[in-house]
Formats: sequence, C-alpha cells, structure tokens
Amino acid sequence: MTTVANNPKQQTAVFLLRKAASSFITLVGLSAFVFMMVKLIPGDEARVAAGENASVEQVEAIRHSLGFDQPVPVQFVAFIGRLLHGDLGTSITTHVSVTQGIQQVLPQTIELVLLAVLIVVTVVVPLATVSALHRDGKIDYTFKILVIVSAGLPTFWLALLLQYGLGTKAQLFPISGRLSRNMHVPTRTGSVVLDSLLAGNPLAAWDGLQHLILPAVVLALPFGAQLYRMLRAELIQVLAREHLTVARAKGVPQRQLVMQHVLPNSIGPSITLVGIQFGAMVGAAVLVESVFGLVGIGSYLTNAVSQKDTFAVLGGVLVIGALVVVSNFVVDILQLVRDPRLRAGQLGA
Amino acid sequence: MAATLPVFVPERRSWRRTVSGLPGMQLIVPTVVVLLLVLAIVGPLIAPDALVYRSDILSALAPPSSTHWLGTDEQGRDVFWRIIAGAQSSLLSAVAIVTGFSFVGVLVATLATLGGKWADEVLMRVVDAALAFPPIIFALGVAAALGPSLNSAIIAMILTGWPVTARVLRGVMKETMSQPFVENARVLGVSRTRLMLRHVLPNSLDVLVVKWAGDVGNTILILGGLSFVGVGAQPPSAEWGAMVTSAKGVIATAWWAAFTPGIAIAITATAFGLLGDILQVRFNPALRKR
Repeated sequence: MTTVANNPKQQTAVFLLRKAASSFITLVGLSAFVFMMVKLIPGDEARVAAGENASVEQVEAIRHSLGFDQPVPVQFVAFIGRLLHGDLGTSITTHVSVTQGIQQVLPQTIELVLLAVLIVVTVVVPLATVSALHRDGKIDYTFKILVIVSAGLPTFWLALLLQYGLGTKAQLFPISGRLSRNMHVPTRTGSVVLDSLLAGNPLAAWDGLQHLILPAVVLALPFGAQLYRMLRAELIQVLAREHLTVARAKGVPQRQLVMQHVLPNSIGPSITLVGIQFGAMVGAAVLVESVFGLVGIGSYLTNAVSQKDTFAVLGGVLVIGALVVVSNFVVDILQLVRDPRLRAGQLGA
Repeated sequence: MAATLPVFVPERRSWRRTVSGLPGMQLIVPTVVVLLLVLAIVGPLIAPDALVYRSDILSALAPPSSTHWLGTDEQGRDVFWRIIAGAQSSLLSAVAIVTGFSFVGVLVATLATLGGKWADEVLMRVVDAALAFPPIIFALGVAAALGPSLNSAIIAMILTGWPVTARVLRGVMKETMSQPFVENARVLGVSRTRLMLRHVLPNSLDVLVVKWAGDVGNTILILGGLSFVGVGAQPPSAEWGAMVTSAKGVIATAWWAAFTPGIAIAITATAFGLLGDILQVRFNPALRKR
C-alpha cells in the first residue's frame, strides 16, 4: 500500500475497503460462472422461458424482451444489470420469480444451519479443551476415536438411521416437517422458531426447535469433527508456550488460565474455519433437508433440478455462493475486531 | 477471501502420534486401503450379474442368511454382491475425481507461479470464486446442465475440487521458488519452463501425495450424497450412495439394505482419511518446511 495511512482507524478502513473490493470481485466472478453455465446448457432459453405451448411469435417476442438476440457480452452486462435489481428470472414450473421463491425458503435453511453452528461450537470447544489439557490421556483418546468415526459417516445415511431409530422407533423426536400438525404460526421472517416467538407462542417455538434438533445434529457432526481437530491442535500449541509456564508457576488457577490465556489465543483459526463451514453447511443442508422433509434452499434446489427448472437452479446456486462470500467477509471483519495483531500484520504486508 | 486461514491444515505432532500410534494402525490402514482398491478393480468382475442387477421379487427383503450374507433389497437383489460390484463406481470414481482435480490444481498453480504477478492475482481471484461453491450445490447446477448421471457428478466434483489443491500447491511452489537451488539454476540461465518442470514442480508435489488419501475419503462421502439427492449414479447402479437411496423406503422392514452400503462408505472414507494422517507423518519434514 503506497497510500499514507498512518493512524489505525485509517488503516482499518483501507483494510475493510480492500476486503470488500475483493468480495465484490469474487461475486462478479461467481455471476460470470453462473452465466456461462446458462449459456452452456443445451436448448433454447427463450423457448424454455416462454413455456412449452408458446407460439413461434411468442418465443421470438420473449427472446427479444430478454435480450437473447443480443451478442453474448451485451447479454452478460444485461444479466449483471438484472442481478443488481435482484432479478434472477422466473421459475418455469411455479411461474413465481426465483427471487421470491428463494426468499421464502432461505430463512428456514439459515435457521437450521445456525442451530448446527451453535451445536458445533458449544460441543466442540469444551471437548477440544479437555482433550488438549489431558493430551494423550484416556479422555483424549476416546474423543479422538469418536471424532475419527463421526468424520467418516455419510450424512444422508446417518440422517436416515437417526430418523428411523430416534424418531420412528423410540419416538423421541418428530420424524419430519417443520411444525406439528396442530401448530400454526403466521409467516413473518420465514424462520419458524423466530416467527413463533414473534407471535408470542413459545409452545410453537419449542415444537419447531424439536423438529430441528435431529437434522441440526446430523448436519453438525462432520463439521464438528473438523473443528475439533483444528482447535485441539491449536490449543496444544498455545499450551506449550512459555508465558503459560510462567502463569502456571505464578499459581494462576487452571480455569482462569484456560479461559483468559489459552482459549483467546487459540480460537482465531477456528473462527475462520467456522465461517468457511457456514457456507459448506448450507450446501450439506441439501442432504439433511431431503431426509427430514424440511423446506429450504436445499429442497428448493433438488426440486428445481428434477423439474429441469434452469433459472431456479442457477438462482439458488448463485444465492448460496453469495452467502458464502458474505460469510467469509463477515469472518474477516470479526477477526479484525478480535485480534489487533492481525490488523497490524495484514496491513504491514 | 478467507486468506487468513491456510485451507490445508497440517496436523500437529500429537494428533498424528496417537492416531497412527494406535496398535497396528500403520499396518491395518494401508492393508484395508489396498484391499478396497483391489475390490474396486475386480469387484464387478467377480460379482455375479444375476444377483446384482436382476430383480427377484419372490426373495425380496430377505434378512441376512447363509444364502444372502447381507440379505436382499426391495427388488430381491443380493446386498452383499451389490456392495462388491458397487465398489467400482463408488471408489474408482472418487479416485478419478481426485486425480482429475489434482491435475487441474497443478496446472493452475503452475500458471500462477510462472505467469507473474498479474496472472497470479487473477487466478487466485478465480480460486476464491470457485471456493465459494459448496460442491453439492455446484453438482446440482451441473446436473441441471448435463442431466443427472454418475459422469455429471464426476465432472462437477472435478470442477469444484481443484481450487484447494491449486491454492495449497501455489504456496508450496512459491516456497520452492525461493530455495537456493532454484536461484542457482536461474543464475545458470535455465529457462523458465525448464526451471518449472525440472526443478520446482518435482520438488513441490509431495504435498499432493499427502493430500490425495484424505481427498479420496471426503470425495466418497460427497459422491454418495450426490447419488442420494438424485444427481449422481442412477438406479439400478450398485453405487453405494444409490443403494442407500433405493432402500430408504424399506428401512423399517429391511434395515440391512440401507444400513450396509452406508457402512461400506463409512469404512472406506475412514480408511482413506486415516491413511492421509499416516502419510502426513511420513512426509512430515517436507510439510514442516513450509
């Protein structure tokens, strides 16, 4: 950076601007990618958009109105222009705009993924800490084997087994769907739990949560295994540092040592990992949603694929890609706020 | 984007020591992996076609017995022989995918290293954009374009797998570029291409050796998932994910038909994952160098 940015505030602003610019470029690249995919799909887009029974004149009219008679680079600019207006095209099966369709289902997926992230973090952080403190002990060993096993289980298969074992057989959890039949909640945000709370119906919120727990646990498992490995390794590294030996020698109690010195110094890479996992979880949610009969971006996409609903598929793919980009950007900012060393390091480069 | 985290996380010592230090692990894991690979090659040859593909409704949903070791599925096909036959489309596809995206990754990393600052910057932005697609989502898009089949799934996964490899390898290559022996070769007037092919590339590829096993493990899990949502292998394929899918409706009456192919996936994924850990220990010095 050749710009003069001496005070920390200016430096932070420059850093954020660069990150935002880089996110923006990634988003444009993503759109280009999706656009290319539309172009590569065999078949006449105008005919698809006009519908099976349209006459030749109607198809030509649609071709003109959608700009498909223009050169490809012009089409791309127009495509970006439509994107900026939030226009992802119209679903050929439901005849509802793709933007609207996704708006209806996305909050439900995000609700599921956020619960899974919550489960991952609240379970893995204590487990990894205990493991690292009792390194190579029996507990560490047990956790480790559990992690190895759970990392190798196919998500969709585990979902089926748990649904059958804990849902159908043991009847501990609801088998599928988002709410029990006797529950009704007006839709406001699209998130069932949030909507229930907004409607002042804690019973429905609890019911909605129960429907989510099993899918969220299944979704969380492989990601939890990944986080455990990273956090444990990071903790062990930090535990070996000299200042901790000093702190121990001074008689700092174990609890305080872990909470104030070890964890804050080890959690950095894990935060970044969770940010990356968020996007991957939205992808993996497809599998879980299809088993548990949940409405979400995943089931929206699988339906769209089976119906050959091109615009809906591409819209969904683009929205998820954008979600990943945004979550990475948010994580970058979080890291910046959390770790002043990083700020200095990033800007010095 | 996410530049603060190296996507490839070299495990630290203690994890490796304990996992690979489990009794007999160093021997068991490679043996299992070799057996699985052999099975993937000869599986369809030794499995009798009649038991694998032909429906026999009269013996449908039979529990495990001496005639049908793992029982039969909803069409009366033998689950054990289907798993044997399906090893090929499950495991060899995964190996093909990893090989495919490793090639693309090597190519991109080489171009980024050779091409100067601009090429590097542009390619790394492309890597960022490609990383933003969760593989399953991307495969859904490709399936919409090419039609759902095992081949579309393989293409989709090659297209989504390479960015991580490219980024890791680019880092290693940059490192190798700055080594004294490369400097020396450059001073001696070795051309850029020759420098790359003869000196930098061979000395950077060991990271792939370590990475491939873990990659195969992950790929098998995702590939099974793709079959499950209907964009991978199609019925009557004996691909393991497709087997779970076709048996999910009868899980209450014939648990074995959905349960056992899932176990096959789990064993294979775990074995390859552990092999990845073991290889990391072996290649440790090369990794620590970075």
